[in-house]
Amino acid sequence: RPDVIQPGYEPGTVVTDAVPQTTAPLGSPSEAEVEETLKRIQTHKGVIGTIVVNAEGIPIRTTLDNSTTVQYAGLLHQLTMKARSTVRDIDPQNDLTFLRIRSKKHEIMVAPDKEYLLIVIQNPSE
Amino acid sequence: MFTDETLDALGVESLWRKSQQFAQESRGCQTWPVHTAEAEIQLLLNADNGTQTDPQDHLLYQLPFKGEFRPESPGLRDFLHRVEDIVVKELANNAKSHAFDGFDVNWEDPNETVSCIHCLQHPSAQEKGLQVTSISWSCTGSVIACAFGRVDDGDWSTEKSCVCTWNLDRRGLNPKRPDTVIDVARPVMSLSFHPSQPSLIAGGLYSGEVVVWDTNRTQDLILAQTGMSTDTHREPVYQVAWVPGPRRGEMVVLSAGSGGRVLLWTVDSDEGRLVLSAGFALVRQQVPHNSALSKNRGSSNVGVTSLALSPWDLDTFLVGSESGLVLKCSFSAQTLAAAPPDGESVTLRAPAQFSFSPRGGPVHSLHCSPFHRNLFVSVGTDGLAHLHSLLQPDPLLSLRVSDSYVFGVRWSPTRPLLFAAATGQGLVQIFDLGRKSLRPAATLDQLTGGQPVYCLEFNPRRKDLLAVGNADGSVNIWHLSTELTEQGPRETAKLEQLANEVAE
Repeated sequence: RPDVIQPGYEPGTVVTDAVPQTTAPLGSPSEAEVEETLKRIQTHKGVIGTIVVNAEGIPIRTTLDNSTTVQYAGLLHQLTMKARSTVRDIDPQNDLTFLRIRSKKHEIMVAPDKEYLLIVIQNPSE
Repeated sequence: MFTDETLDALGVESLWRKSQQFAQESRGCQTWPVHTAEAEIQLLLNADNGTQTDPQDHLLYQLPFKGEFRPESPGLRDFLHRVEDIVVKELANNAKSHAFDGFDVNWEDPNETVSCIHCLQHPSAQEKGLQVTSISWSCTGSVIACAFGRVDDGDWSTEKSCVCTWNLDRRGLNPKRPDTVIDVARPVMSLSFHPSQPSLIAGGLYSGEVVVWDTNRTQDLILAQTGMSTDTHREPVYQVAWVPGPRRGEMVVLSAGSGGRVLLWTVDSDEGRLVLSAGFALVRQQVPHNSALSKNRGSSNVGVTSLALSPWDLDTFLVGSESGLVLKCSFSAQTLAAAPPDGESVTLRAPAQFSFSPRGGPVHSLHCSPFHRNLFVSVGTDGLAHLHSLLQPDPLLSLRVSDSYVFGVRWSPTRPLLFAAATGQGLVQIFDLGRKSLRPAATLDQLTGGQPVYCLEFNPRRKDLLAVGNADGSVNIWHLSTELTEQGPRETAKLEQLANEVAE
């Protein structure tokens, strides 16, 4: 009788990789550069928080707490898509390059891209 | 002649009995032969298979970039390279820009005036001459409850009083007729709505009992009460509040009375009882830095007249006493109280950790700032409002509120620099710390003919409503102007500056 159960696994379980991505070792040069760039932006005068969001609206880097980050990422991702479609509807040759929202308390800046979104929250009067 | 003879037996044939045996015929039949065949099967190959998934946590608690596993996002570095310059340029420009200085947007029409929109009364309580001792807004901000009792009576009071509620958002609001009237056998000295369940009200009575009412019920509105047992206060309960309990989502009732006891009660709604779960006793000998007051003879208990919970630190609470002490206390204090045990079911602890500079008379009201973790304001019989920092004993600022007693003080929930104080002359003075002058920004005359104002509360939901309870038994609801409710720019920074000043 052929034995198809591979050694090392418990019968009855199949291990699958839920997230098919490779891990970047923390010490790699690209990772360090990313950290440095974000740090430069974060330490700028008046910056309250910095968030990087991927194309699906999921935050991948942040300097704020979890719940605030998820809130900002979700809402601003939707708003950026809406802003972009507004610009392109008016003129299909045009495209969104930068989005700034000024509120009573601070200013939110969004730099959009094909794969990512950079959100920076600044308090300009500090 | 006679001879013996033997005859043969005679037999008679039966006519009806016949032999049951009929003629018998035998037949047989047979089918064609049945074809049968035999066959066998056997599995040549078998395999076991199973799947299992891990419980999927909500994205909120499992952001992939925290911890060891950081997914490499290809192109992130290049993306940041591309946008960094433009973002930094915009940030720098923004910090220097004056483009928006003084630019204000009007989303709503500004309200320029302060007006009294309702004057709520309960005629039968007013006939008896009862005063409003405490008011509380429900967590939804639509219902106001007020407690009737007496503050100026020095004697032990057995007068019947009541608790009335009005729903301000109802269309048929009749200011002279409360929606709910709860009759209570004793004067009610303090009231507090539950922070998340809009129908529960906790009240402290003059006799020392603590009661929780449920306005959802139709018959008996009392959900739980302490009753008169060895655990209850012996003196009037001047303050009740709801604090988070040991289990998540549970709230317990905190009561503080002039007997020097601060007690925590859990609500047992099945039995209708409030069960004592923890207690603190304030004894003069255990108050820190109390050299000035230890000369006094008299009761060693420190009677509590006001209490404030800190919204920033769940462990801290402030206590103001009858003799003018203001103490910073902790829920997690472990030292045992030096009070003689009086048959209580829990051991009492001494909570006081720090004592602020004492006043000359009872401290009627304390309130912690919702915008700064170290600031609180206290008022008492000296007519001044003292702004304190938790870090030092002397006040940062003392403002003259009135020439008579001041009975209540509350910080504004929307403007960090604003607070309102209720005076004994029937006025509510609203102070704005951002102004250069020390005079009040607004004065609300309650039109009670000079009778004192005992309590005031800002509406937690609708930021422009202020409720004020008067000694003539009426509750006035004021609608504040936009200037008093809209937060200006840099207010939090100014408050921070104020808090960091060291008193000379």
